[in-house]
Amino acid sequence: MPALDWHGVLTGQPLQWIISGFLTTLWVTLAGVILASLLALLFLLLRLSGGRAGHAIVSGWVSLFRNTPLLVQLLFWYFAAWNGLPQAFRELVNADHSWSVLPGNVWWFAPEFLCSAWGLGVFTSAFLIEEVESGLRSVPDGQREAALAQGFSAWRLFRYILLPQGLANAWQPIVGQYLNLMKLSSLASGIGFAELTYQVRQIESYNAHALEAFSVGTVLYLVTGVAIGLILARTGPSIKKRTRRPRAAIANTGSENA
Amino acid sequence: MIAGLNVITDNLDYLLWGRLAAGEPGGVLLTLLMALGAAALALPGGIGLACLAWRFPGVVRNTLFLWAELIRGIPLIFVIFWMWYLLPLITGGDLPGAMTVTLALAWFSAAAVMHSVLSGLSALPAGQYEAALTQGFSTGQTLWRILLPQVLRNILPSLLGIFISLLKDTSLAFIVNVPELTTVAGQVNNRVQIYPATIFIFTGVVYYLLCCSLELLAKRWRVTRPAL
Repeated sequence: MPALDWHGVLTGQPLQWIISGFLTTLWVTLAGVILASLLALLFLLLRLSGGRAGHAIVSGWVSLFRNTPLLVQLLFWYFAAWNGLPQAFRELVNADHSWSVLPGNVWWFAPEFLCSAWGLGVFTSAFLIEEVESGLRSVPDGQREAALAQGFSAWRLFRYILLPQGLANAWQPIVGQYLNLMKLSSLASGIGFAELTYQVRQIESYNAHALEAFSVGTVLYLVTGVAIGLILARTGPSIKKRTRRPRAAIANTGSENA
Repeated sequence: MIAGLNVITDNLDYLLWGRLAAGEPGGVLLTLLMALGAAALALPGGIGLACLAWRFPGVVRNTLFLWAELIRGIPLIFVIFWMWYLLPLITGGDLPGAMTVTLALAWFSAAAVMHSVLSGLSALPAGQYEAALTQGFSTGQTLWRILLPQVLRNILPSLLGIFISLLKDTSLAFIVNVPELTTVAGQVNNRVQIYPATIFIFTGVVYYLLCCSLELLAKRWRVTRPAL
């Protein structure tokens, strides 16, 4: 076992790389989570309201992105799809923009960031759709029937009755998917995106402190995962809250009527 | 796109089995070999760990759970990196890259198999265990002859899911440059440069067909039907 030298990793240039990579991982995770959630919502609406064609499109989307490796998807987006975009747009992205810099000197309006966030978002959306759908399925039928009897439109039924309960039912697996996205962002190092894994490997080739750098990376991923998991579990919708909500709702309508 | 199909047909041999003639399997063949090898290690390993955790609740089970949480909490790439650096330190010699990645995948999947088998064990009616005990079966015999056959049958769908993930995860060998399908596709792309879409769509289609045919086979063999 070689002696470990933490000084070579936790000072100077290597430390800066680690901090920059860590912040990049956090930012791309945030972007991917937002994108994945929006895509999942969009496709859920399509599946619920789009008839047979909508159903087929969503099933195709889910099947396609669940049954191919994320790394191949990222390589496709970065090497193939990106070059298929209009030249003018690519030049716009490659130019320097002051508004492109996120705190931590992370450039979000750059090909690697956009492709990584998009690839991670698309991949995770395929899993989110399934999770939320099973959450929706476990909402009792009476909820839908009661809302219809109360004169809710299809959209308001979905927005105010089904979705909140479905999300509360599926919150734990949803958080699991978000955490998965965070860990899978490590694959974006395969397309040269300078997130944590990329920087850790850079240290390895810079001063050969591989074991120390990997230890730091491992601990950062572990701690981030635990922290995000705790925060989301605390702040998210839970079934406990749901049982409390009807009372609050009754109190509100009461005050409105008065 | 159609013009780009040449790039597939020209490199088909390389994409399918790499330099097999030179004794170095690659491409789809190596992907399958790695997935099967990792499964062959992870399945008995995971079942064994689950039996340990089932038999010894307390310290042993908690240690195994902690180990599984650690494995699940870090990206799979890091498991591969660790194997890459620690295995030579332990064995004292260099292992082939494909072997290292296979071991890392097995290590990673064993944790998933353990959880799956354990939940299968706790889902069985307690009467099965009690009846076996009153009949004079030892604990080992109960596990081997009464509980595990039912559990494995019940959790086949979940095991299949683990194997499909495993198959897709072999693509991570790209990061450490082991010449399985994704790496080989990347090499061809680097060499040809002008048909990235064709190459990566082809790669995706191969993985898609492999995964979907596994699911179809499972349906045909009715492994999704529970035993009880």
